[in-house]
Amino acid sequence: MKEQGTPDIRRTNTKAAGVGIALSLAACLFILLLAIRAGSVYISLPDLFKIIGSHITGKPLPAEVDPMSDSIFWSIRMPRAITAFLVGGALSVSGAVMQAVLQNPLASSYTLGVSSGASLGAGFVLLCGFSVAGLESFMLPLAGFVFGLLTVALSILLASRIDRSVSNQTIVLIGMILSLFVTGIMNFMMTFYGDRSKQLWLWMTGSFSARNWTHCAILFVTGLIGFIILFMLSGRLDILTFGELQASSMGVEVKKTKIAAILVASLLTGVSVAFAGVIGFIDLAAPHIVRKIFGPSHRLVIPMSFIYGGAFMALCDLAARTVLSPREIPVGAVTALVGAPFFAYVFFAKGRRKL
Amino acid sequence: MELLLKNVSAGYGHEKVLENIDLSIKEGETVFIGGRNGSGKTTLLRVMAGLMPFEGSVTIDGKDISKMKRRNAAQLIALMPQAGEMYFQYTVFQTVLLGRYARSGGLFGSFTAEDREFAKSCMESCGVYEYRDRLLGELSGGQLQRVLLARTYAQGTPFLFLDEPGSNLDIKYRAELCDYLGKWAGEKTSTPYGEVKNTVVAVFHDLGQARSVCGRTVFLKDKKIIADGPSEEVINPECLKQVYDFDVASYIEKQLIVH
Repeated sequence: MKEQGTPDIRRTNTKAAGVGIALSLAACLFILLLAIRAGSVYISLPDLFKIIGSHITGKPLPAEVDPMSDSIFWSIRMPRAITAFLVGGALSVSGAVMQAVLQNPLASSYTLGVSSGASLGAGFVLLCGFSVAGLESFMLPLAGFVFGLLTVALSILLASRIDRSVSNQTIVLIGMILSLFVTGIMNFMMTFYGDRSKQLWLWMTGSFSARNWTHCAILFVTGLIGFIILFMLSGRLDILTFGELQASSMGVEVKKTKIAAILVASLLTGVSVAFAGVIGFIDLAAPHIVRKIFGPSHRLVIPMSFIYGGAFMALCDLAARTVLSPREIPVGAVTALVGAPFFAYVFFAKGRRKL
Repeated sequence: MELLLKNVSAGYGHEKVLENIDLSIKEGETVFIGGRNGSGKTTLLRVMAGLMPFEGSVTIDGKDISKMKRRNAAQLIALMPQAGEMYFQYTVFQTVLLGRYARSGGLFGSFTAEDREFAKSCMESCGVYEYRDRLLGELSGGQLQRVLLARTYAQGTPFLFLDEPGSNLDIKYRAELCDYLGKWAGEKTSTPYGEVKNTVVAVFHDLGQARSVCGRTVFLKDKKIIADGPSEEVINPECLKQVYDFDVASYIEKQLIVH
């Protein structure tokens, strides 16, 4: 047991929380700059800011900046790092919300079949060559997104048919069953199109290479909308962690809140999976680490999960593209390889198993 | 204000736990719900609070509880649950403050200075204010129960439903709980529906506690109410024998003989 009066952000100490937030933001900014600058081509910080400045203000690039670095940093590295950040943030927020809603520390929207559904969608596009005219370059993310959300919607629909109160166990079980079933369909398809499965494998292990500003913009807008809705639900999410019966007796509309939160969280995951492929682990780890530092109150957990998850993803992508350069490691492999031991350390080192 | 149950049946799955219950509880009453394990006491509390599906009708102030918005119902009725496992480590203060949700919590779950003050007074009544910065996982069973009690008080409702509120408390805290409830029951609470006399409906296993708090006793057995009346009349050796299937009176007598 901790002694009373120990400085600890979790213990209603607003001053400490403020310092914690400021430090986290600073660290996050540092990581983002690192993720943009590190690599085979070097750029000085002032030059980087000049490039960003010229694009924001619309003024021509100052003569002393190499136009080559402009195209490398503005068109390749920055959108890539920012996409990674947004995807990491969205996944983590989604994980934090799922864990609260399902009162299950191991839950995430992947549990409900988002990733397997999205993979099946991508499979249709890649293996069968299915496409809609005019949307060719967006077919993969679009199909991943639609199939991912369809799978979650189907999970919830089935769960509410089987169990009128839509209990958490039913949702998790149905989600797992659907996931396995969908994965089965996928593997079945792959036996017919074995020659194209390499491309599908690449997508399923996640990557941020060749992302552009359009991807960033779409992610930013959907991420922002989802974030605002979930942040508005944060008081209700706090109460939901005490269990549905207690939440209901304290005045929360449990079923409505739950379905809204699950759908919005799945939307966040769906968009992320659509643009980056399937990247596990961050949605599980980041919220746990944030709760360790800031406590379980969702008004802090939701924004901080975004920051921590985003920064962690930017770092993992940096590792993915630099460690074995010029070869690229699938970022999903990096998140799990780096994240799992780190998570185990954070979780068990201090002998506190609770969230 | 009156809480009225007409022909209520409820259960889990296909098994009924309560059948055709009729019951009226008027504001200002203190009601003890007694009976053996599994006799439907907890289910009755949950049904009356509108927290689980049932057949028949439950109304409060003439309004159907199952159709009320949860926030409105939670402004009238607070239910203290039996303590369970807490997975998320809120501090004691955060936990109690969440009780104010139905009366205050806006979109962002923010609370006013008044809410904090109210939560503080509830913590003081339950003797947990000194632990306000502890995490729930750092509390003993009895401390956790008092925190949940404080959170239930913090809802500020005129109807207080308590499910074995004293089960983990030591004898001093049990006595304090009874004192508090006894005093509280004589007062009034202002609600969005006007002033309402405070009403306690509680499940106890300790008959002494039940008698000291509750003026009325309702006994459940075999899915039905088998006795209902003033506690001093209903709690008698004959009736207890019937409710608990053994000679309660002589057992208690034997226990009290000090050697």
